[in-house]
Amino acid sequence: MEAQRLPEQGLPDLSARRSRLLGDSSRRGLLLSTTSTVVVLVALVAIFLLAPGSAEVRHTFFNPTDMWQALVGDPQAGYYSVGEALWLNIRMFVVAEILILIAGLFVAVIRQSTGPVLLPLRVVTTVYVDVARGVPLILIIFAIGFGAPALRLTVISDQSAAVYGVAALVISYSAYVSEVYRAGINSVHRSQVAAARSLGLSQWAAMRYVILPQAIRTIIPPLLNDFISLQKDTALVGLLGAIEANKAAELYSDTVFNYSSYVVAAILFLILTIPLARFTDHLIRRDQARRLAGAVQ
Amino acid sequence: MRQLTVAAMAAITMLAASAGLAGCASEGSSSSVSATPAGGGSGSASAAAASCSNSAIQSQLYAKSTLTVATDKPVYPPWFVNNKPTNGQGYESAVAYAVAAQLGFKPSQVTWAYEPFDNSYAPGTKKFDFDINEISYSTQRAQAVTFSDSYYDVQQALVALKSSPIVTKHSPADLKTYIYGDQVGTTSLQFINSQIQPTHTPKVFETLNDVKQALQTKQIAALVTDTPTAQFISSSEIPGSVMVAQFPSTGEHYGLLFSKGNPLVTCVNKALATLKSNGTLAKLTTQYLKIYTSVPTIQP
Amino acid sequence: MTGPADAPRAAAASQALRIEGLRKSFGPHEVLRGVDLAVAAHEVICLIGASGSGKSTLLRCVNLLERIDAGTIWLDGQEITRPGVNENAVRRHIGIVFQSFNLFPHMTVERNVTLAPVKVLGLSRAEAASQAAELLDRFGLGEKRADYPDRLSGGQQQRVAIVRALAMRPRLMLLDEVTSALDPELVADVLDVIRELAEGGMTMLIATHEMGFARDIASRVCFLADGEIVEQAPPDRLFSEPSDERTQRFLRRIVDAGRM
Repeated sequence: MEAQRLPEQGLPDLSARRSRLLGDSSRRGLLLSTTSTVVVLVALVAIFLLAPGSAEVRHTFFNPTDMWQALVGDPQAGYYSVGEALWLNIRMFVVAEILILIAGLFVAVIRQSTGPVLLPLRVVTTVYVDVARGVPLILIIFAIGFGAPALRLTVISDQSAAVYGVAALVISYSAYVSEVYRAGINSVHRSQVAAARSLGLSQWAAMRYVILPQAIRTIIPPLLNDFISLQKDTALVGLLGAIEANKAAELYSDTVFNYSSYVVAAILFLILTIPLARFTDHLIRRDQARRLAGAVQ
Repeated sequence: MRQLTVAAMAAITMLAASAGLAGCASEGSSSSVSATPAGGGSGSASAAAASCSNSAIQSQLYAKSTLTVATDKPVYPPWFVNNKPTNGQGYESAVAYAVAAQLGFKPSQVTWAYEPFDNSYAPGTKKFDFDINEISYSTQRAQAVTFSDSYYDVQQALVALKSSPIVTKHSPADLKTYIYGDQVGTTSLQFINSQIQPTHTPKVFETLNDVKQALQTKQIAALVTDTPTAQFISSSEIPGSVMVAQFPSTGEHYGLLFSKGNPLVTCVNKALATLKSNGTLAKLTTQYLKIYTSVPTIQP
Repeated sequence: MTGPADAPRAAAASQALRIEGLRKSFGPHEVLRGVDLAVAAHEVICLIGASGSGKSTLLRCVNLLERIDAGTIWLDGQEITRPGVNENAVRRHIGIVFQSFNLFPHMTVERNVTLAPVKVLGLSRAEAASQAAELLDRFGLGEKRADYPDRLSGGQQQRVAIVRALAMRPRLMLLDEVTSALDPELVADVLDVIRELAEGGMTMLIATHEMGFARDIASRVCFLADGEIVEQAPPDRLFSEPSDERTQRFLRRIVDAGRM
């Protein structure tokens, strides 16, 4: 973009300098940024490969044979397949996410209500959210995973570790997700509520048909973010004895004295979460495009 | 162009830094990755380490004039007593001090370090001379660390609540039907899966406490652990429990864990050999491990 | 038709809307300081006044969007500011259109119009849809039925907002500066719609800056200042011979700004 020549009394350098700073050739800028990125990456890899302990680290963490053995598993030798164990993680986070989305919405709607009848419920849900967000998830997992069986109640004490794990995850995450819902609900402009109420819609009808649909559209990215986080937190259920991917990796590692199984577990988690993260970005872009298109007046 | 100059300078700085870091080799790091199984310690090629006197081994120590011994936290009887390795009581504490004495260390010259089991086999320099933590030898494990000779030959045993059916029904076919529990990192899981071969997947817990808890809340029918631990749990720790039986030996043994290629293992093996031949290990076994021959042995 | 502000109470029953002593504050700021107004059926009242004079607040108080601090409002002779009144039921009978349209962006035009008739009035989807189609056609929006609001111009959106309010068959329509946010060339279409409603006999309370329009269709023009109705009269008299000094000053400013 060639700037126009400025009058002589002005700053004659300004136009040339401006075109330099703003990038008069986008291709040269691209070449520059690519080169510098490559250089940094190469430097990091070089540090890794040239360090004195590099061979040992590579063998202990990135050994292909161990990675394969861990992936496939060998119960007779004392370790299970990390790949198969991942299936438990998947089942846990699918079930947990469904319950979390429902419970979180319920808590959020209660907290947003204004009628006097719901005051006790409002108090209870506020206390719940504070406690569930304040206590580390790992403690909730222990409390439920070891506490429930200790109570010796018929159905409650007979569940598997995975069930207790899911219960703990739901209790913890629903609190966070309810706050996300609330942020979404509050982000819908008050004028929408005014319009809906003005038509005679009750508070609940306005919430259901006008507010929530708009709110949910806004909060899908942070909800997906929490979902990705949930997928990884299923690893904590291994502390209760469930053989999920992380636990299987630990079993391999402790049996064979090699950490490559953890790298396998990490890679598997990445395969799960990266597509979801890219999908989230796609949704954000599409939503923005739609909003900007409608911004014509 | 200013931008190119900045980028070029950054690149040069990066490369210089990486070269510097790479060239700067850290002293004393055991960096060799040898596939030689070092389980027995008999193949240590360094013939120059002939003397095992206290002065001769100083250069092999982590800290001068001190024997640094590592173990986990918390530690349980009969291996340690009162969770205090320094009191010299418990089989492993006693063995550690006995080995130290053979190497010419006074008890006051023994320092204990904390090393969680998961860290003990991490590569790189270790912050101890050896780790004693009921760690079983295996050829795979010996690729990552160096083991001493055996200081205890292991058998696996079963602990269950007195009310559990396994107390009376433990034929090999019956054994397959129960849910077992064990602690991560022990060889018990391998034993359960390869020897007992149960139909239900065993439960694996982080700590021994968790396993005991699971037994008490009936989440598992029986726990599998080495005989001394089993005997202590059933007699002192879990009310209403009983050591059902032990299994025949599969050749498992505990060894002291050294960082890979640590030359100190040679002298420690000599010490252990002495302790075996002069009856010290047998005496400690009787004193702390109280293995009665009346413990029935059943087939898995 | 003239209805002086101090009509006898006996006439309250025949009045579409009656407001007495309305007071509303936001925090320390008192916006409405005792508004009295009587609106007969089929009357079109235009509220004029400077920004901040309380026009919007007054309208929002009438349809109970704002809780009033003092005073009483009767709709068709029934007191709607009584404690314990069902506000949702009251709002069914009052249509309001806002300056910023406030269409529901996640619904099509048709759904915007049919939502309340179905959920509140209990019409079937088919009934509501045919009513919507008829109204939209009448105001030239028939083709836009299946579009989302973001595809419509401002003028079209505002007309849809009016249709949405009409679909509830209100007894009273409140219009809050409905053309103020529109580009000038779009204003005329909206004003045409309002004119048509007036000719059809809809009782309306219109807050507006469009003085020419007010002159055209108002039965009465009320000038709001300092939180009360300073002067009200038929448009001819108010615009040409305002009696209160504040009214005169306001109108003079409008003329100077070339808005009249």
